[in-house]
Amino acid sequence: MDTRPVLMKGIGEADLRSIDVYKSRGGYEMLERAVKTMQPAQIVEIVSKSGLRGRGGAGFPTGRKWQFLPENGEPRYLVCNSDEAEPGTFKDRMLLEETPHQIIEGMLIGAYAIRSHHAFIYIRGEFLRGYEIFRAAVEQARAAGYIGKGICGTDYDLELTIHRGAGAYICGEETALLNSLEGKRGEPRLKPPFPAIKGLYGKPTVVNNSETLSYLAPILRNGAEWFAGVGTERSTGYKIVSISGHVKRPGNYEVPLATPIRVLIDECAGGLRDGRKFMAVQPGGGSSACLFEEHLDLPYDYESMAKNGTMLGSGAMVVFDDTTDFVHAALALVRFFAHESCGQCTPCREGGHWLEQMLERIVHGDGLESDIDLLKSVSHQITGLNLCPLGDSIEPFLSSVVNRFEDQFRAYVKVPVAS
Amino acid sequence: MTATSFEELAAALKPEADAIVAQYEDSRSALLPLIHRFQDAQGYVSADAMRTTAEWLGLSLAVVESTVSFYTLFFRRPVGRYMLQVCRNLSCTMNGAGAIMERFRERLGVGHLETTEDGLFSYEEVECLAACDRAPCMQVNLEFVYDLTPQAVDDMVAAIRGGTYPVKPLAQTEAPARSWHVSKDAVPRVPGGRDVPDPNDPGGIGDRTGVIMLDRVVRDLSPDRTRERLVKDGRELLERGH
Ligand SMILES: Cc1cc2nc3c(=O)[nH]c(=O)nc-3n(C[C@H](O)[C@H](O)[C@H](O)COP(=O)(O)O)c2cc1C
Ligand code: SF4
Ligand code: FES
Repeated sequence: MDTRPVLMKGIGEADLRSIDVYKSRGGYEMLERAVKTMQPAQIVEIVSKSGLRGRGGAGFPTGRKWQFLPENGEPRYLVCNSDEAEPGTFKDRMLLEETPHQIIEGMLIGAYAIRSHHAFIYIRGEFLRGYEIFRAAVEQARAAGYIGKGICGTDYDLELTIHRGAGAYICGEETALLNSLEGKRGEPRLKPPFPAIKGLYGKPTVVNNSETLSYLAPILRNGAEWFAGVGTERSTGYKIVSISGHVKRPGNYEVPLATPIRVLIDECAGGLRDGRKFMAVQPGGGSSACLFEEHLDLPYDYESMAKNGTMLGSGAMVVFDDTTDFVHAALALVRFFAHESCGQCTPCREGGHWLEQMLERIVHGDGLESDIDLLKSVSHQITGLNLCPLGDSIEPFLSSVVNRFEDQFRAYVKVPVAS
Repeated sequence: MTATSFEELAAALKPEADAIVAQYEDSRSALLPLIHRFQDAQGYVSADAMRTTAEWLGLSLAVVESTVSFYTLFFRRPVGRYMLQVCRNLSCTMNGAGAIMERFRERLGVGHLETTEDGLFSYEEVECLAACDRAPCMQVNLEFVYDLTPQAVDDMVAAIRGGTYPVKPLAQTEAPARSWHVSKDAVPRVPGGRDVPDPNDPGGIGDRTGVIMLDRVVRDLSPDRTRERLVKDGRELLERGH
């Protein structure tokens, strides 16, 4: 099975950071074709037809998102989301460091498609190396006439600005990202209005993930039908899946959507380590509920994941074998969300910390039997009551493992009674 | 850093700052980039840096401080020359991060969010670094280090101490305090300890209030660790003659 068919093609074989190498493999041809021979609306239509859905987590159809932009004559912006911090996800960093021109070309095509003259990329603060590589690539692209005044010799002006984050997971949420880009605290905004109506500087704005944008040039090259023909009817095309945890070959694998989970774990990631037994897999980042043995033959696509009470999210798969302490695993993720809560909503801010305290207590042997029941009930009182999805992300993993591995949690609270 | 040298730094940065501001439709967007520049030069975000940024962007100091305080990579107090940030999230935990963190704590003699006495190391346990395929992992001054083992920790600490570690040290224009964190995550501070409250320090009061200390104790520390902490702090106070 080819696990680097499109975006990952050439990584590790050629230095795709060099614009000459990128161009020698057909790079920037699609940008030229787009701005020289295509109308923006044509590109929107091709992308809609391809069925491409956002690869940043929510899976929203990209073409449809672009069509929400109002025709009000205001400037509009395209923002590339490279804030990647969802636990288990490590694909955007690879794209940034290994094949930055692919992101740049996608940003430029996307910006042209929505008739924007200014595109931004928000790069996670921790990715200093990625930022430096990307900056060098932007300079090459600018020198080659792809960025700036009159790109590709046309009269279309298109600026590209790189913005570095400074440490905050929540800035990956699109409205928090826009606040951060405006020089503010990275706190999510109330929606509606959605960014497409009122985004950066109050102007219509599209936020797309770097993997989503990277697929634009391949889709223009090979056609909407090519992409739509891979996967299922509603989950089309390829997806980079980051697989980590207890597998032999953790890494990024680019596969057709609807590839069975078992194939991803066994064939792509080399299966479990010798002598270990599969216990669970978290299929879509830190916010997703676990799947178990009985789910291994499910196709990995948006609908199948949703139907089974979880999600595909950013495509981050964490595999757990029988050495896993799920109480510690739950603590690690609950602590993460508690730490990253921006603090605007009480259920998220307080609920996360209460759960963290409770799990700390359990892990240190100070838990009570009743804590387990409390864990199960309290977590449900957080979900659905918050301004942004972070608050709703605390509970799914926790609930799924408490319910499945309750005995592990109970074992921690079996404290001998003092005589 | 003395007043004149800060003025020199600000003057040297001004042209670049103007170019950064010009990249955005609204000058406030330059806030994070400018603070990054100042931190690169001074090793932390000084009160001077925040004041100057506020002035340049036409913002109030309060707005700049409040924004800076939101981001964990902005250090509002001086830090060590090597910022060690070890991942504590899921895939790393599942692959032995616990032993790595224990080894660092032991070798450095400090805990989460603390700086060593000699000002060489700051240590923090951080969230997923997007390198889960190479777990357990960390960043040293934002350079990735993968596939950690306890032995690799020993080697790294020794190499940094010996001046042979291949990552550039951070700027250090002032001696660090015990912790650089001025937030809800701050390590409980003992009144009259080494960090005497500085009225000019924007975060100098908040992290010393009993409420925050209590919050931290309840939230982050087990009873055992709380006890250890109190004994350690008490011993330090006695040693200093309080
Ligand atoms: C808490 C939170 C964190 C997020 N982090 C990211 C991220 O790091 N990268 C990303 O592309 N999208 C992230 N998203 C999703 C974005 O809000 C947004 O949906 C996405 O960038 C849109 O791009 P897409 O349609 O191409 O997926 C996050 C959402 C939430 C609620
Ligand atoms: S849900 Fe949490 S992270 Fe999201 S806005 Fe509310 S407090 Fe902030
Ligand atoms: S869990 Fe440590 S890098 Fe992702």
